[in-house]
Amino acid sequence: MTVQTASAADPAPLAGSTSGARRQVGRLWPLAPGLLLIGLLFLVPMGFMLVFSFLRTDPNFNIVVDPNLNNYARFINIPTYVRTFAKTLVMAGVVTTLGLALAMPFAYFLVRYVSRRWQRIILLAVVVPFWTSYLLRVYAWQAILGEHGALNQALQGIGLIDKPSALFIYNDVGVAIVLTYLYFPFAALALYAALEKFDFAQFNAAQDLGARPDQAFRHILLPQIRAGIITACIFVFIPILGEFLTPALVGGAQGSLIANLIVNFFRGAQYAEGSALAIVIAIFVTAVLIVFRRYLRVEDVVARG
Amino acid sequence: MADLTREFDRRQFLKAAGLAGAAVGLGGIAAACATPAASVAPPASTSAGASAGASAAASAVAAASNPTGTFNWMTWVDHYYPEQLSAIASSIGINVNLTELADNSDGYTKLKEVGGQLDMIAGDALWVPHYFEAGLIEAWDINSLEVSKQLYSIARSFEIWTKPEGYLGYPNGWSPVQIYYDPAKVSPAPDSWEVLLDPKYVKKVVVENQPVEIMAYMGKAAGVKDPYNMTPDEISKAKDLAIKLKPNLLKFAQQNTDTIAALISGEAWIATGNLGTETRVKQAGGPELKVFTPKEGTIGWMDAEMIVKGGANEPLIRPFLQAAEQAEYVAANFMINQRPLFNEKAYKLLINQGQKDLADRFLYNKPETVLTMTLKGPGTSTQGAIDAFNEVFGA
Repeated sequence: MTVQTASAADPAPLAGSTSGARRQVGRLWPLAPGLLLIGLLFLVPMGFMLVFSFLRTDPNFNIVVDPNLNNYARFINIPTYVRTFAKTLVMAGVVTTLGLALAMPFAYFLVRYVSRRWQRIILLAVVVPFWTSYLLRVYAWQAILGEHGALNQALQGIGLIDKPSALFIYNDVGVAIVLTYLYFPFAALALYAALEKFDFAQFNAAQDLGARPDQAFRHILLPQIRAGIITACIFVFIPILGEFLTPALVGGAQGSLIANLIVNFFRGAQYAEGSALAIVIAIFVTAVLIVFRRYLRVEDVVARG
Repeated sequence: MADLTREFDRRQFLKAAGLAGAAVGLGGIAAACATPAASVAPPASTSAGASAGASAAASAVAAASNPTGTFNWMTWVDHYYPEQLSAIASSIGINVNLTELADNSDGYTKLKEVGGQLDMIAGDALWVPHYFEAGLIEAWDINSLEVSKQLYSIARSFEIWTKPEGYLGYPNGWSPVQIYYDPAKVSPAPDSWEVLLDPKYVKKVVVENQPVEIMAYMGKAAGVKDPYNMTPDEISKAKDLAIKLKPNLLKFAQQNTDTIAALISGEAWIATGNLGTETRVKQAGGPELKVFTPKEGTIGWMDAEMIVKGGANEPLIRPFLQAAEQAEYVAANFMINQRPLFNEKAYKLLINQGQKDLADRFLYNKPETVLTMTLKGPGTSTQGAIDAFNEVFGA
C-alpha cells in the first residue's frame, strides 16, 4: 500500500533509482564471467582448503569436523616448518635475483643492439623450451649436472677439476641452478616488454649532460622500467614459493622446500594438515602481492605504451 | 557512435560467450549422462563386415556374449601394457580409461571422493580390507571367473582378503622390499638395514620417495614390530635413525627407473627396491649387484584389483578380468616388469619359454613367501610418521 502511494505520488525518483541501479548492474555484469571463473577455479577450492585447515584427519583418513587450530600450531611449534619456509623465501629471493641479473643484460642488449627481426627469433628461442614438458626439462638437467653429466665432463675436459664433482646436483645449488633456468624466460620477457618501450635517446641525453653510465642507468633507465622489474619479480618469486618438483628431482635429500613438506601430507592423505600449511603460504603470497601492488598499477603491466 | 558500437560489440561478445559456455556445459552434462549407457552398449557390429577375417569373427562371437564399452580403472602402471589393452579392446570390445595410482592413500581418498565414477582400483595388501571396511569395494566370488583357476591356490585364499561375503580382489603380484648394493664398493657384505645408515656411504644411498615407507624401514631397523602402527616412542626411535640416513641419501627416487639409473651410473652404491632390480641394472649395462633381505625383517606388498562398489560400468569388469588375466598376458607382463605374479599357469609358460631361471630368481615359484613379510597397509601412525619425516628432511 505504501509502495503504491509512493509510486503514484513520486514516480520519477523511483524510476531514476531503478534505471540507476540498472545502469550499475549493466556496468558490473560484464565482470560476471571473470568473477565466475575466479570463484569456481580459485575462491571455492581455497575456501575448501581453508575449512579443511581447521579440521583434522583421523587414522582412517577421514576428515573429522572438530574445529581447532592444531594444524596452524604445528607450523609454529615445529621449527622445521618455519626453517623450511625461511629457506624457501631465501631460495626464491636468490633465484629472483639471479634471474633478474641474467635477464637484464640479455633484454638490454637485445632491445638496444639487435635488429627487430633477430629480436623475434631470439625471443622465440627463449620461449621454445616451453614447448617441452617441465618434467623433461628438469630431467635433462639431471643429465647435465650429475656426477657423470655434461657439466662435470666439460670441467674435467678443460682441466678445472680432476674428478667429477657432486657440487652441482642433489643439493640447494642444483635447485637454484635449475629454478633459475626454468624462470629465466619469465624475467626476460617481462624486462624485454619494459625495455622495448624505453626511449634510449634519454639515456644518451643524460650522458651528454654529464651523467656517468651507471648514473644514467640508475636515475633514467631503472625508474622507467620499474614496472617490468616488479612484474619479473612477481612472475619468478611467487611461483617458486610453491615449487616442489624441481627440489624433489634435483634437490636430493637436502634440497626440500616448504612445498615438498606440504606434498608429503597430501600424498599421505593428511589433507587437513597439508591444507593448513598451504593456507599459510597463500596468506604470505597475498601479502607479498599487496606489497607489490603498492608499487605497481595494473595498467603498468597490461596497458603501457 | 564509437561508444554505441563498442557496447553493441561487447553485448554481442557476451551473448556469444554465454551461448558458447552454455553449449559446452550442456555438452559436458550430456556426455556425462551418456557415459554409463554407452559403457554397456550392445556389441559393435563392425566385425560382421565382409572383409573381417576369422579372428575378427571370433572377436564378434566373444563380444556378442559380453557387454562392451569403456570403464574407469585406477591402477599401478605395471598392471597392464598397451598392446594387451589394444588386443582386449579389439577382441571383446572393452576399453579402459586409465588413471595412474600414485600411492595407496592417494587411491583410497580419491575413491572416497568419486565413488562409483571409478569401476576398478588396485590396492596393496592390508589396504584391500581397509577399502572393504569403508564400504568402497565389493566382495565377490573369485572362483566364478574361469581364469582364476590359473592362479596359485594360495592366492585365492589369502586370509586378509577373505570375508564371508566373498574375496576382496583379483590377486596380481607381490614383492618384498630388498636392499641392493654394489659389492665392489660396499664391504663387508651387509645383512641389515643398518647399512643405509653407515657413515661410510655418504650420498651413496637411494630410496623411494615415500615418506611413510621410509619411516617404516627405519622402524624395522629400530626393531619395531608393526612399523605402520608405531607408538610415539617408536616413531622417535625411527626418527633418530632417519637423521642418520639423511646424509647418506643421494636422492629420493621418484620411480623405479630413477633407482636403476643411479645404480647403473655408479652415483649410488646402495638402494632399496623391489625384486629384480639387480637384473634390470645388469641388463642396462650397470655393475653386478648383490641383494639381501634385512635380518630385522622387511616390508612387502602384494596387490590386487578391486571392484568398486556401485561402479557405473561394473558389468564390464569381470569380462575384462577374464580376458586380461590370461596366462599369456601375465607371462608377457612378467618379462616386461619382472616381479613375481600370482598366475601359476604363466609361470609354467615362462618355463616353456626357457625363462625358468629368471622366474625362479624372482621367487615366482614361491608365492608363500608373502606370508613372511610385514605387509603394507594403512596405519594409525601415518601422520606421526610424516611429521617425523618432514622434521628430518625439512631444513
